[in-house]
Amino acid sequence: MNVMLDRLLLIGLAAALCAPALAAEIPRTKQGKPDFSGTYDVATLTPLQRPEMFGENLVLTPEQAEKIAAERAAYLAADLEPSDPNRSAPPAGGDGSTGAAGNVGGYNAFWIDAGEGAFRVDGEFRTSIIVDPPNGRFPEMTPVAAKAQAERRRWFRENTGEAWWMAEEGPGPYDDPELRGVGERCLLGFGSTAGPPMLPVLYNNVKRIVQNEDTVVILTEMNHDARVVRMNGEHAPPHMRFWLGDSIGRWEGDTLVIDTTNFRDETSLRSGTRDLHVVERFRYDSEGQVVYSFTVEDPNVWTRPWSGEYAWPRTDARLFEYACHEGNYALGGVLRGARLLEREWLEKHGRQGSE
Amino acid sequence: MRKIVTAALAGTFALALAPAASAHHAFGAEFDPNRPLVLRGPVTKVEWVNPHTWIHIEVQKEDGTTEEWMVEGGTPNTLLRNGLNKQSLAPGTFIVVDGYQAKDRSNRANGRNVTLENGQKIFMGSSGTGAPRDGFDPNER
Repeated sequence: MNVMLDRLLLIGLAAALCAPALAAEIPRTKQGKPDFSGTYDVATLTPLQRPEMFGENLVLTPEQAEKIAAERAAYLAADLEPSDPNRSAPPAGGDGSTGAAGNVGGYNAFWIDAGEGAFRVDGEFRTSIIVDPPNGRFPEMTPVAAKAQAERRRWFRENTGEAWWMAEEGPGPYDDPELRGVGERCLLGFGSTAGPPMLPVLYNNVKRIVQNEDTVVILTEMNHDARVVRMNGEHAPPHMRFWLGDSIGRWEGDTLVIDTTNFRDETSLRSGTRDLHVVERFRYDSEGQVVYSFTVEDPNVWTRPWSGEYAWPRTDARLFEYACHEGNYALGGVLRGARLLEREWLEKHGRQGSE
Repeated sequence: MRKIVTAALAGTFALALAPAASAHHAFGAEFDPNRPLVLRGPVTKVEWVNPHTWIHIEVQKEDGTTEEWMVEGGTPNTLLRNGLNKQSLAPGTFIVVDGYQAKDRSNRANGRNVTLENGQKIFMGSSGTGAPRDGFDPNER
């Protein structure tokens, strides 16, 4: 009889251990609400948009996830290998690098901290942050937004070291500091790091949440951007506009919901407008990990809302100050450089009938 | 076949990461692909600032004179978390930089590849440029 009882107890204990995290297990405040206070490192190799090869498959196998992490580790290790001490200058005309490295290269990998692998939610590795639309990619843009995007893309040319824009109608990309992005002007971190929605970027992925009954503060390392969420508050009047939007919070069961409106014409999220509306949710998943999810709506930009989610793993690492204007020599350099290249262009090609 | 699939998988992820890999500003807007250079000389100062660190070096020219150059790196915060600091790259350390000069023709270059005199990466090298990786620092990776 006692043996039977022991067995039953054992089975019960095992079931309790294997069950998804029970409500009682998550950290809670004195008021009994889930406690999200803490420091998080949100770096991940999983991209915002799903690579098309995965189709509607949201989940990576553990083997695939392991492979991705190993490839990344090998890439970083290779970049940190010694170079030839007698090396010569890189090739004239550019090194062929693309993206932000713009045909001149960026900097060594030891500066970079973009994560070691794909993130996991409820025990499953993911192929993308976007979960809806089901293909994990941005929905179709409105015709107006698509046209505006095409116009912006006109400015993303290969870096030839020439003022190519002098041969085109309309303003050039370096005419005015306010034509440069909010990241380059140190107004906000790049890549929607402080959002909303808050997205992982190349480095500075550490965030800190401080929470009490009335207020939740989310501090993003780059550019030391702090979002102050008023719990059970009301939005500011429509004429008041904010770089990070105006955020109010509420509880839906054990989920913290944050609603943000009142954006400016330029938002941290690429393509967003003043009518952007973001609803974010923080919850604990079945492994006791914090999961951040969001739904983005902007009728000026997308033909339907889209949603994403990813893990916010806790970290012992510290968040440091990020005084962006302190060392932002680049903006002045970019504008001065453009003026010199324009002068050279005029010397070479003349005014081309502009006078 | 399997090998091809997994290689493509990792490759696609790397490719998909490219848009996220935008830095604080586009280096292509700041530096001139037609002005490649290699700089050699001792560090004179490190500006341990955001959004980008600047390493100053005294470049020895062929005619025996010297000129100061500034080399642009990444955010110092990542290095701080790895137990490094401004003193980790001491003035007087001889470094080699290959990169491109700024479009504004100032003595500035991108730190495309910054190494010690022997080719080891700075902050990774052994000659007094890296914090000890002895297991004492919980953030050590």
